[in-house]
Amino acid sequence: MNTRRTLSTADLGALVGDLIAAGTTVVAPIRFVDQGRASIEYGPVQSPDEMDLDGPQPSRSLKEAVFPPTEVLFRWRQAKSAVEIEEVPVSFKETVVVGARPCDAAALEILDRVMGWDFRDELWFGRRQATTVLALACTRCDESCFCTAVGLSPASTRGADWFLTPVEGGFEVEVLTLKGQALLERHKARCPEAEGSTTKRVADLEQEVRAHLDVRPDRIRAWLETHFDDALWKRLALRCHGCGACAFVCPTCHCFDMVDEPDGIDGGARRRNWDTCQSALFTLHGSGYNPRKDQAARFRQRILHKFAIYPKRFGEVLCTGCGRCVRVCAAGMDLVAILAEIGRTAAERGGSA
Amino acid sequence: MSAPGADGTVSFEPRIIAFVCNWCTYTGADLAGTSRLPMAPNVRIIRLPCTGRIDTLFILKAFERGADGVIVSGCHPADCHYTSGNYHARRRFAIFRELMEFVGIDPRRVTFSWVSASEGGKWAEVVNGTTERVRQLGPFETYPGRVRSAGE
Amino acid sequence: MFVLRVNSMQDLKELSKKLLEQKQVSAILGYEHGRRGPRPVFVTEVADCERLVFDHRCVHNLAAYLSPRRTLVAQLGRLAVVVKACDARAVAGLIRESQLKREDVVLIGVRCGGVVRDPNGAEQLSADNVAPRCLECDKREPALADHLVGEPKPPPPGSASRDARLSEIEALSPGERLTLWTSLLSRCTRCHACRQVCPMCFCERCIADKTQPTWIETSPHARGNLAWHLTRALHLAGRCVNCGECERACPAHIPLGLLNRKVARVVAERYGYRVTDDPSTPTPIGAYRLDDEQEFIQ
Repeated sequence: MNTRRTLSTADLGALVGDLIAAGTTVVAPIRFVDQGRASIEYGPVQSPDEMDLDGPQPSRSLKEAVFPPTEVLFRWRQAKSAVEIEEVPVSFKETVVVGARPCDAAALEILDRVMGWDFRDELWFGRRQATTVLALACTRCDESCFCTAVGLSPASTRGADWFLTPVEGGFEVEVLTLKGQALLERHKARCPEAEGSTTKRVADLEQEVRAHLDVRPDRIRAWLETHFDDALWKRLALRCHGCGACAFVCPTCHCFDMVDEPDGIDGGARRRNWDTCQSALFTLHGSGYNPRKDQAARFRQRILHKFAIYPKRFGEVLCTGCGRCVRVCAAGMDLVAILAEIGRTAAERGGSA
Repeated sequence: MSAPGADGTVSFEPRIIAFVCNWCTYTGADLAGTSRLPMAPNVRIIRLPCTGRIDTLFILKAFERGADGVIVSGCHPADCHYTSGNYHARRRFAIFRELMEFVGIDPRRVTFSWVSASEGGKWAEVVNGTTERVRQLGPFETYPGRVRSAGE
Repeated sequence: MFVLRVNSMQDLKELSKKLLEQKQVSAILGYEHGRRGPRPVFVTEVADCERLVFDHRCVHNLAAYLSPRRTLVAQLGRLAVVVKACDARAVAGLIRESQLKREDVVLIGVRCGGVVRDPNGAEQLSADNVAPRCLECDKREPALADHLVGEPKPPPPGSASRDARLSEIEALSPGERLTLWTSLLSRCTRCHACRQVCPMCFCERCIADKTQPTWIETSPHARGNLAWHLTRALHLAGRCVNCGECERACPAHIPLGLLNRKVARVVAERYGYRVTDDPSTPTPIGAYRLDDEQEFIQ
């Protein structure tokens, strides 16, 4: 099976058009202009022209396509003393993501670990199975990107069903999974087999990203596991507003709250909503006691979860180095600088303490 | 709410929630009732101690839960049972009313009034006038995420 | 006339060192260079005062750190805070509402000619990148200050009125406005960054976090989002200093400032009140006049 194909820009547009016509949801980066400022976001497109594959990284992650900010888990209805639970009919619509960043595609696979761990999250996996990810190699990065420090790269194929590398006139396509193969079968005419080999254009980009942060995740983890009470946490947390914007744009943050919302006297819906460990209420007990009662404890938790706890349990870091937390932070908390500092400190003290 | 007409057609009957203060408007409404003044049946009254207690969220909650119109009514200035509750309310509602209008909640759906304990006639006018105005505007189906209980 | 050219960073650094050495304060809250532009910093050592900077990229409103809810900051002790004229209004607000005592903070006023919207990257201040709060700003330095540093600066560039968009929206029909706002607010994921960065949102228990009953649904759907944003705008009536931090912090790029600007305009027109850095001016919402306008009341 030759899994390398070429796809011209025109044919990609036609492919997207075919998918939309067939009723498939197509999610791609879209340019929004509001108040004169442009931002790129992943969103459903109604036509191929809406896609913007050359712009900067979408400011929110792809997790929304598989894990919406709010969703109904079930509804209830009460009649006298009996309560009826209505399962919410969930159909997982066929979705194709075109132009996913490598850091966003990889995040989905990393999250599969916890979503299938002690309880299989059928909503997550249902959407995952229905979603085909066409990832696109990065052609630009900025000083906040650090995917190379967490085992990825601007050309990482992790989590992708197809991987597109931009070449002159279009893309070279690597088909990587059975799901990807199935998509290819349906649209073979658009993607002739590739001739020869292409040197990946993104080699330079990798060096550039590597220059932002040179740190070993295992060193970070070792330091984190032995420095729970370090003065670093208080010093960093002074600046942090506890706003949680970092968690909400992060491709791997997945904590959620559950609420019951009545829609009248006799019924309602139970929902799950995105939540963040940075909120003061996150660990507030009913008794009024809060084990993470200041921002130092809460900020430490986020770093520990991503770089020590998740690796310990699942063998990999809960971060894809996308840099969104750095870009969105209103207070200038800089994860790249923080990890670099921890890495330096760990090295000075001879590695793991 | 809808009422079948003589020929079987169903016309829209607005559902209106009124938040009124206990000492003036509620008593005035009671007077309207005992005076047998004809009033549209579309208004459901919720009694509060004072307009100063009326949080703007009550208005939003009413629209969220299916109201097509809202009335907020209390004592005339200088007559508040708690001296100044209605003065605070006046500023609060003045600002919130313009904010609601700014985001697209039609101000004709919200009526503010001062109705005293002896103004049964005025209450009947407020009720009938608001009901007719909201009937013309139609159901407030565009309120975001509006919820109606089953069985309505 | 003899004009002393003072490097604004040097007089700030010298003043900070003096304040720390004389133990007038335990820490200086100012700005330092981060990897991506200036960011807030707490300096507790004299030697670290060299890190303090101020330039046109220092958009952050440091008054947000003065709320008593910030237990870590409170543990530092008495602070000296670098404030622009706009930030000083927030400090005044905290003093006015008894969240801060005037004598518990030293205010280092800084002369400002405008700041950029995004601290990352901007080489020069221009009409294209100037922060919305600077448009129409006529205060080059705070009146509420213990010290003043920096060279005098010209007014910020940019002649657009920050309220132009308000008029555009007001010209739409109610249906169009509701569609617009429902769509804008649908991007909100209820992270509450807007609340967390706001110096005047200091309630120990925010109404949006209260249950039993739940007045504002926490779910990020259209219904909950509208209730949240309208309530926050109302609770800031007459208190919002229009620093625009909420809009800057919003990860969904929602133009939140429009709601606050609308409320500010209503408060100015009806009650003649504009937010000021004089803590003794009462807020319009705690107060009332017997002859307040009531044309909207039957």
